[in-house]
Amino acid sequence: MAGNRVAVVGVGQTKYAAVRGDVSLPGLLREAVFRALDDAHLTMADIDAIVVGKAPDFFEGMMMPETYLAEALGAVGKPLFRVHTAGSVGGSTAIVAASHVQSGVHDRVLTIAWQQQSVSEAMWALSFPIPFQQQLVAGAGGYFAPFIREYIRRSNAPDEIGILVALKDRLNALKNPYAHLHEPDITFDSIRESFMLWEPIRYSETCPGSDGAIALVLASEDAAEASAASSGVPPAWIHGTAMRSEPATASGRDQVNPDAGKECAADVYAQAGITDPRRQVDVVEMYVPFSWYEPMWLENLGFAPEGEGWRLTEDGTTQMTGDLPVNCSGGVLSTNPIGASGMIRFGEAALQVRGQAGDHQIDGARVAVGHAYGGAAQFYAMWVVGSEKP
Amino acid sequence: MAADEMDGADSSELLRAPLVIEYPFNRTTGPVVGAFVTALRNRTVLGIRDTSGRVVCPPVEYDPRTGAPLEELVEVGDAGEITSWSWVPEVREGQPLQTPHALALIRLDGADTSLLHVVDAPGPDSVATGARVRIRWADEPTGAITDIECFELDGGAS
Repeated sequence: MAGNRVAVVGVGQTKYAAVRGDVSLPGLLREAVFRALDDAHLTMADIDAIVVGKAPDFFEGMMMPETYLAEALGAVGKPLFRVHTAGSVGGSTAIVAASHVQSGVHDRVLTIAWQQQSVSEAMWALSFPIPFQQQLVAGAGGYFAPFIREYIRRSNAPDEIGILVALKDRLNALKNPYAHLHEPDITFDSIRESFMLWEPIRYSETCPGSDGAIALVLASEDAAEASAASSGVPPAWIHGTAMRSEPATASGRDQVNPDAGKECAADVYAQAGITDPRRQVDVVEMYVPFSWYEPMWLENLGFAPEGEGWRLTEDGTTQMTGDLPVNCSGGVLSTNPIGASGMIRFGEAALQVRGQAGDHQIDGARVAVGHAYGGAAQFYAMWVVGSEKP
Repeated sequence: MAADEMDGADSSELLRAPLVIEYPFNRTTGPVVGAFVTALRNRTVLGIRDTSGRVVCPPVEYDPRTGAPLEELVEVGDAGEITSWSWVPEVREGQPLQTPHALALIRLDGADTSLLHVVDAPGPDSVATGARVRIRWADEPTGAITDIECFELDGGAS
């Protein structure tokens, strides 16, 4: 990977919920920020620069919130940078923050991503009927359902695969105290019997709408070692970062297995020296807002041959007890503050290789992948983190 | 198309359509702004002490300079002094008073910062930086900044 070494030394998350009515927007972010700083054994004064990201401004009806939030984030007199890449923004934001350290310009960078879905109906906030343009008034699930159907047709995957993904992720969420949905009574049958929202996506195979924020502290090699010496918690070293995007409406585009996702994965693996991701990666946090995206992304990210991803779900490989655990945190299916969801994947990957994931820790995890996607499955962001220096 | 050709096009032939965007949002106040507006409903005004000891009113959740958490809410007075102002001679619909009035920054007694509000005064000659003003409360407070209906000159026109 190009540039100076950089590591995650602090991870802070809010409790995620449908409505965090107990806090203001700045208060929500600060809950995550102070937890991340505490984890890193640092204070606001130690931070050199701040990088923030969120989903489109219209989701919360607040334009340029980064300027309003500068004082709350301790950014007075410091560089403050905003990143926009739709649903992948949490991942992209962490990557931009990492580049602030890799460049050698900053030693300690705080990065934050958030969303208050309770503030509006994010499902429809970008679905205005704009004159003379293609109408996309279908909601996210309505947009993605036809591509899931096409995946099922190509792969001949059995109908129960989506249910198995949802059941796994919701049960994993019970081990994550920050997760939004805690549904101890969920079963295969209760998911199967939940109503069909956008065939083949059932209600219980769909992400919730959440309020929440996550903050990470990224540090240069010396700063990371100093934090680790103080906190006693090892850093998560960043072994590779990659972003790719492609136009939503390009003709000939394969929305089931998009080129941008494949190229993003190939790039990040090359940086991290990964030639066989199925064998070399210990744990994955991937962006799965609808159940079927687990097998689809397993193929897109090179963990399974095309058409075979669903078999890893079916045979238990992606369970916490399998040899390629996916979304031990409960994933987007259990917690979805959209603007934060990508960074939660990146942060959870870091927690795994630092041994800090608590009840959803995979013992001995050394290499973890964080993945985010956004827009019309057109924006991709990934990083690989490891317990060893790159 | 070259610019001179575009200038010659009849724009009345081009289709146009309106795009009206209306979308509802809501906001949460949190423990500090929430306490401030709740106190207004009880006809008291709260500020908060920052890390340098100043009382900031309206209160903020965090120190404006260091970002440190602030928690010590302080009741300030219902009267204070104008620190700057502007006269509104012609009133339009939707403005806070339907008679000519001043928009003013007002430092309430016990506070070290100013809040923006409206002063009901007979004319610009009666308003001055340093003039004393007092809150006129709304008849039915609801927990909003408009519970302060406006400020009045304290002791009449100066």
